[in-house]
Amino acid sequence: MKKLESNFVNMAVSLLLIAAAAAALLAWVHEVTRVPIEKINAQTLSDGIRSVIVGDRPVEFEVESQVGSDGYTFYRAVGRDGQLLGTAVRSETEGFGGTLTVLTGFDPDGNILGYEVLEHSETPGLGAQVNTWFKQLSRGDSDSQSALGMVILGRDEPAGNHNIVGMNPGRDDMTVSKDGGQVDAITASTITSRAFLLAVRNAYSAYMATNNK
Amino acid sequence: MNYFKTILNGIVRENPTFVLLLGMCPTLATTTSALNGFGMGVATMFVLICSNTFISLLKNLIPDGVRIPCYIVVIASFVTILQMVMQAYVPDLYKTLGIFIPLIVVNCIILGRAEAFAAKNNVLASLCDGVGIGIGFTLALTLLGVVREFFGKGSFFGMQILPESMHILVFVLAPGAFITLGYLLAIVNRVSRS
Repeated sequence: MKKLESNFVNMAVSLLLIAAAAAALLAWVHEVTRVPIEKINAQTLSDGIRSVIVGDRPVEFEVESQVGSDGYTFYRAVGRDGQLLGTAVRSETEGFGGTLTVLTGFDPDGNILGYEVLEHSETPGLGAQVNTWFKQLSRGDSDSQSALGMVILGRDEPAGNHNIVGMNPGRDDMTVSKDGGQVDAITASTITSRAFLLAVRNAYSAYMATNNK
Repeated sequence: MNYFKTILNGIVRENPTFVLLLGMCPTLATTTSALNGFGMGVATMFVLICSNTFISLLKNLIPDGVRIPCYIVVIASFVTILQMVMQAYVPDLYKTLGIFIPLIVVNCIILGRAEAFAAKNNVLASLCDGVGIGIGFTLALTLLGVVREFFGKGSFFGMQILPESMHILVFVLAPGAFITLGYLLAIVNRVSRS
């Protein structure tokens, strides 16, 4: 078959047909993958609620969800004896690469029980460490930076803290140490760290506001 | 045309990273660990094979005047399919590679091969070219990832080898990507000249 000539009708029809075929194909794939994706998202959320409130302890609880104002969602975990174990708050901020969705668990006094990052678009290897960084043992506990790395980067940072579990945003200054706060930012990812801590502080304010009503 | 030769050509003589120096953005950005580099390479290979095959199939139906928009539509469709499939079936890899998957659309290797090879050759040869260039890209990214992960995090595919005091953080950061790429290019040039 000979190649189609580049006249207006040929160009319009050919581009239209290709775009239509592509759209149909995408619609079909979307239909096929919709259910698994929804299932995974629901699973991530329920695992997240468990992880940020009870951690690894084998505690059974029921979840009551409540959509608060300003887009915050609260998940109250109530134990079998009717006691409130804690509340997980879902909050969003703008990170370095896109929306950062964080689920933070608070006990009734507002102390942080744990957190999970549900969705992020941070740089792999750098900002993406937000998943684990703020619950790890801090520098000073382990010598995590090499001497050569310090020389190359020209930094000699004092031992700091980046484990936020157990902190209370109402009591502690939860900003990055560069801004005068008590939390060490992820190395080379200050913007991500600021966004993350903002999400946690927002979650706290929203939680305390609904809690004290 | 010798199909085996086409594949080998993509891996060695026209290696997209070390010889053509194409697609540097994902190359430098995603190779912070061996597994990330490998995952990105395989994802790109999938899109490359599909787009090469389909563009070669459709080449006579696409008038020259609108060929670039048509190629982009084909490439973007496969990238979107890949994105949805990864999100549904390998959510962990999707989480780590996240933002780089949609960027495969504008990876110049893919558009470059569509224009330089698939639009001029038959379907089977184009498929082989996709396989070859894809393997070449995957190998290069994995190699970069292995080197950067080894020096920066002291591990090999996640297995810890060096103690933490010997890590050189700069290798995981952006400058380390350029340094590693530069040295690897020098080595490849030296070897290929002799």
